[in-house]
Amino acid sequence: MTKRPLSVWEHAQLKGYSRREFVQFCTWLAAAAGIEASAVGQVVHALETKARVPVVWFHFQECTCCSESFIRSSHPIVADILIDLISLDYTETLMAASGHQAEAALHESMTKHQGEYLMLVEGSVPTADGGVYCCIGGRTARDILVEAAAGAKAIVAWGSCASNGCIQAARPNPTDATPIHELVSGKPIINVPGCPPIGEVMAGTIVHLLTFGRIPQLDGLGRPLAFYSRRVHDTCYRRPNYDAGLFVESFDDENAKRGYCLYKVGCRGPVTYNACGVMRWNAGVSYPIQSGHGCIGCSEANFWDNGPFYQHLAGFPGFGIETTADDIGVAVGAATAAGIAVHAVTTNIRKRKLLEVRNEPAGPAPSAGEKR
Amino acid sequence: MANLQRVYVWELPVRLYHWVNALCVTVLAVTGFMIGRPFFPHIGGEAWQNYSFGWVRFVHFTAAFVFFFNFLGRIYWGFVGNEHARWHQFLPFGKGRLRRQAKEIGQVLRVDVLLAKDESIESVGHNALAGVTYFATFLVFLFQSLTGFGMYAAMSDAKLPRLFAWIVPLMGGDFAVRQWHHVFMWFFVVFSMVHVYLVFYHDYVEGRGVISSMAGGWKFVEKPKP
Amino acid sequence: MGNRVVIDPITRIEGHLRIEVEVQNGQVVDAYSSGTMVRGFELILKGRDPRDAWAFTERACGVCTTVHALASVRCVENALGIVVPPNAELVRNLMFCAQYLQDHVVHFYHLHALDWVDIVSALSADPKATSELAQSISHWPKSSPGYFSDLQKRLTKFVESGQLGIFANGYWGHPAYALPPEVNLIGVAHYLEALEWQKEIVKVHTIFGGKNPHPNYLVGGAACSANLDDANALNAERLAMVGRLFDQAQEFVEQVYLPDLLAVAGFYKDWGAIGGGLSNYLVYGDLPTRGYGDPTSFKFPRGAILGRNLAEVLPVDGADAAQVEEFVAHSWYDYSGGDESGKHPWQGETKLHYTGPKPPYDQLEVDGKYSWVKTPRWKGHAMEVGPLARLLVAYASGSAEVKEEVDGALAALEVPVAALFSTLGRTAARGLETRLVARWAKEFYGDLLANLRNGDSRMADTSSWEPSTWPASAKGVGMTEAPRGGLAHWIVIQDGKIDNYQLVVPSTWNASPRDAKGQRSAYEASLIGTPIADPERPIEVLRTVHSFDPCLACAVH
Ligand code: HEM
Ligand code: HEM
Ligand code: NFV
Ligand code: SF4
Ligand code: SF4
Ligand code: F3S
Ligand SMILES: [Mg+2]
Repeated sequence: MTKRPLSVWEHAQLKGYSRREFVQFCTWLAAAAGIEASAVGQVVHALETKARVPVVWFHFQECTCCSESFIRSSHPIVADILIDLISLDYTETLMAASGHQAEAALHESMTKHQGEYLMLVEGSVPTADGGVYCCIGGRTARDILVEAAAGAKAIVAWGSCASNGCIQAARPNPTDATPIHELVSGKPIINVPGCPPIGEVMAGTIVHLLTFGRIPQLDGLGRPLAFYSRRVHDTCYRRPNYDAGLFVESFDDENAKRGYCLYKVGCRGPVTYNACGVMRWNAGVSYPIQSGHGCIGCSEANFWDNGPFYQHLAGFPGFGIETTADDIGVAVGAATAAGIAVHAVTTNIRKRKLLEVRNEPAGPAPSAGEKR
Repeated sequence: MANLQRVYVWELPVRLYHWVNALCVTVLAVTGFMIGRPFFPHIGGEAWQNYSFGWVRFVHFTAAFVFFFNFLGRIYWGFVGNEHARWHQFLPFGKGRLRRQAKEIGQVLRVDVLLAKDESIESVGHNALAGVTYFATFLVFLFQSLTGFGMYAAMSDAKLPRLFAWIVPLMGGDFAVRQWHHVFMWFFVVFSMVHVYLVFYHDYVEGRGVISSMAGGWKFVEKPKP
Repeated sequence: MGNRVVIDPITRIEGHLRIEVEVQNGQVVDAYSSGTMVRGFELILKGRDPRDAWAFTERACGVCTTVHALASVRCVENALGIVVPPNAELVRNLMFCAQYLQDHVVHFYHLHALDWVDIVSALSADPKATSELAQSISHWPKSSPGYFSDLQKRLTKFVESGQLGIFANGYWGHPAYALPPEVNLIGVAHYLEALEWQKEIVKVHTIFGGKNPHPNYLVGGAACSANLDDANALNAERLAMVGRLFDQAQEFVEQVYLPDLLAVAGFYKDWGAIGGGLSNYLVYGDLPTRGYGDPTSFKFPRGAILGRNLAEVLPVDGADAAQVEEFVAHSWYDYSGGDESGKHPWQGETKLHYTGPKPPYDQLEVDGKYSWVKTPRWKGHAMEVGPLARLLVAYASGSAEVKEEVDGALAALEVPVAALFSTLGRTAARGLETRLVARWAKEFYGDLLANLRNGDSRMADTSSWEPSTWPASAKGVGMTEAPRGGLAHWIVIQDGKIDNYQLVVPSTWNASPRDAKGQRSAYEASLIGTPIADPERPIEVLRTVHSFDPCLACAVH
């Protein structure tokens, strides 16, 4: 039982994949991970020779849809290979063992692969009241996170929950839900936001880590550039309608039936960085906009508090739902106009004398300092 | 006109700056508002047949560049221009100024807002309150430039906007940046109303030729007492 | 008292569930179910736009994604008196069906199967015998001896690699496993095939809702406009794809899921007498054929059964304050009227107040509060919800389709009707309703095509879209049947904003702690009497708990 662990290529062979199919797969993975064509050979080599990387996947305050999205990742070989590419030693969603046996599996992996395992986190961590809002095996999520992070090689924060707190961190954030990067330091952390992220984006991120043994290029918010460098708006196929001023005015109107731009019904594409427009969802079938609903900005921090989702500007807290900056601006503008009018009238009354004196053709002009 | 004398207040760069700025801000506010709330009627036809909204944005961005460099020019002139153009007119730098300016602000409030009839204001260029207000305006110019170019960085390969990209994560994402960029448009609407009213008001009440000063540069001020 | 056995985390579920059982003489004599994670959705929803609520509530769960969105738009529509166009109803039905197909299949293979299927035993199967067996129960093409022997080789290498991944530390070799190696090998094969397949059926959500998980919904209808003459809308190509996906799904269910289910069940008939638990069943009903406003048209009829009395189906009304109430006697919340009282969700309160042991802890203080799950009751009764409840209520309501399906399965397994009230019955009911849903989906699909053919392309009614058209205050309830059971949302709207929003979720019913009177809810009740061969490896507990398909993120929210 102490054999050398099988490489990914060996696994693929076992499954009856030909060399050609394997190389094709590597090419696809490389493309998904945003790797240049010239580097595909490197990917092939890496997958041919590497043993499965130990991976532990934690669930904290989350809805498991990141896990669900992950298993939607869609290249023919991918659902298989991800079982074979990595050794998923702990994940509450799929693992056979429960309770003590599950905890034992986790600890075995963490001890055996100290400093080597990849740590994937789904969900935020509640920090209020000593962490009682999320406990697993009688321990707080925070406790578990800190312990596991210490021995991890790198951490991937899945989804908006782990990378920016997501829905449970929305006002008033009752449990002080906190993203991973605010609780862990000294480890490389990759944020893969989205609620959930696209399955292929998740797979692509993992593949990048495994084939190159280092983290992909990240932007200022720790997101892989390969998937988060462009706004949905910049790759949206409805963009020509936007530029032409052709907008859906209300859902299911004539313009909606013609696929006009959804900007006026609240589309957040112009302020949202994600790959939806290019990669689309579920093997390229569609994405929110293609199916007639605006982007709600699900990969942006705080997007829940940028509502209501169906208007361009957010409501102002403390005012009514639909009160936007424009409504307040109009009110202030009107008040100003009224103030000016009152001021102008009053001026003519109060300063009439002064004006009369000044306008007197031959009269002596008032001089500085003279009492008026 | 016996007691009045002509004073050269606004040098050409200041006047030029002012009108370019006024034009840009007006264009930016109008096109910006249209970007936020497209209200023009449908031109109709298919998307490839027109680029109307694209033009609105194009005008906004073009005006933005003019606005920005014009603004930079004014900042420079604040160091080399005449007495009335200098930064200390806007903020109470230096000894004794703070008190003098604070006093004048009080005065202006009494004379211009409460319409007191028994005082007059000494300043030849901006009065102290106006100076502070313009300074605030400059800050908002700066803010609009930061947020505007910060957003623009995502849709441009130009070097300049890149310099401002850091503002986006700092403010918590594009949505927040846009929201605040939009909010401050209203500052200009309100500022312009009050500002234009006040220059007319001053001209009307004081007869110093305030309005034309921004065109020709000269103001009329009372001769100092012998 | 016996021996306390704690299982935390319960894995192969959604969310964070802790089960503590008292074991005495090889049997469970008492059980405690605890949800150990909370996010505070009901607090977060306050003050928001009711039209946004679907997006928030949908995030309660990514496994049963879509169902909360449906309950949410329905509660808002109910409050505002909106009736959605027939096409939107059909699109919602189709998304509903796609969800059942994906969720139930994933539950069976990926969350439940390893309770019955011993992966290690599959290593000693004879591929040829496996192939013969597979071909005798289904026409599924992937069942040649070569297929199974390749798979077995792959499995062997996998095990020999020493990296067992998700299969590490399973209960392999436990005496409770009863399947012959060949059936185990089929189970492993279909575990992998189902993983591949499940990502296909969800494309129905992608087409109508733009993505999965978490497709988009819309108050007043559906956002995916239909236009047979435009590339940008629901057109012939999109619809053809939907049709094909449902065809494939039906084939998978008929040729893989159901045959496997019956084959496995045949070896575990003893579980037809274990895990029955409660004898009351509650169903809100769903899949309207003449509009959601007409419950008599539902494919899954609405109703309640008390005391397993299939002769009487009691009417259910979510708006009736005397019917659904939530209690917090053993849950970590405070109620303004005292923690013994019950509250109808329109008056519902959510005030988090943890009083449990300070973590890290070994055991819950089960005499006091011990869960984040509230305890719902129907007219004071603890009710089971879910596939079994749905089939029983439909059966008792006289649905011919359901009766045929259920009687057929009972005959095939040669078990009495009473076997339904069990762990096995629950698992079987889930499969049987999946087959029905696969069939119904094609009916709805046909209806949608017919509407479009007849020129009705309306997808949304936006006449009440603007908050300015709303009354100053309004209340609504939206009900649906989530895969795990009856789901309802209650909303109170005040001046265009959410004043109160309460979710009472299937797993809230089933996973809740006991109520003030000490009545156990479904998980706890069904565990009593479960045999435990080895308290160190309590696989039997997992079987019964998994038969409910727990979803704790849903349950607590
Ligand atoms: C006085 C100065 C300015 C005013 C009043 C102004 C006003 C506005 C307004 C109201 C919007 C619409 C925001 C929304 O609701 O989405 C906008 C958008 C925008 N502005 Fe400005 N703006 C000013 C200066 C600038 C500058 C200096 C730039 C620099 C490039 C800029 C770049 C932008 C950009 C990039 C957008 C977003 C356009 C889009 O994505 O289509 N703005 N502006
Ligand atoms: C009809 C339109 C306008 C007229 C007649 C006008 C006139 C003037 C005058 C007379 C001054 C000098 C005030 C003083 O003595 O304190 C001034 C200064 C100023 N105005 Fe305007 N203005 C107009 C529009 C605008 C607009 C639209 C803006 C843009 C926001 C603007 C921004 C400024 C600024 C920033 C100053 C300070 C100039 C400096 O010292 O650099 N003005 N304006
Ligand atoms: N319980 C539950 Fe759900 C379901 N089915 C929701 O309503 O799983 Ni997450
Ligand atoms: S990020 Fe969104 S999708 Fe992922 S777990 Fe959190 S709530 Fe679910
Ligand atoms: S639909 Fe949204 S993302 Fe697409 S062009 Fe319009 S505003 Fe941009
Ligand atoms: S809502 Fe999310 S899925 Fe994409 S289009 Fe917008 S980022
Ligand atoms: Mg609730």
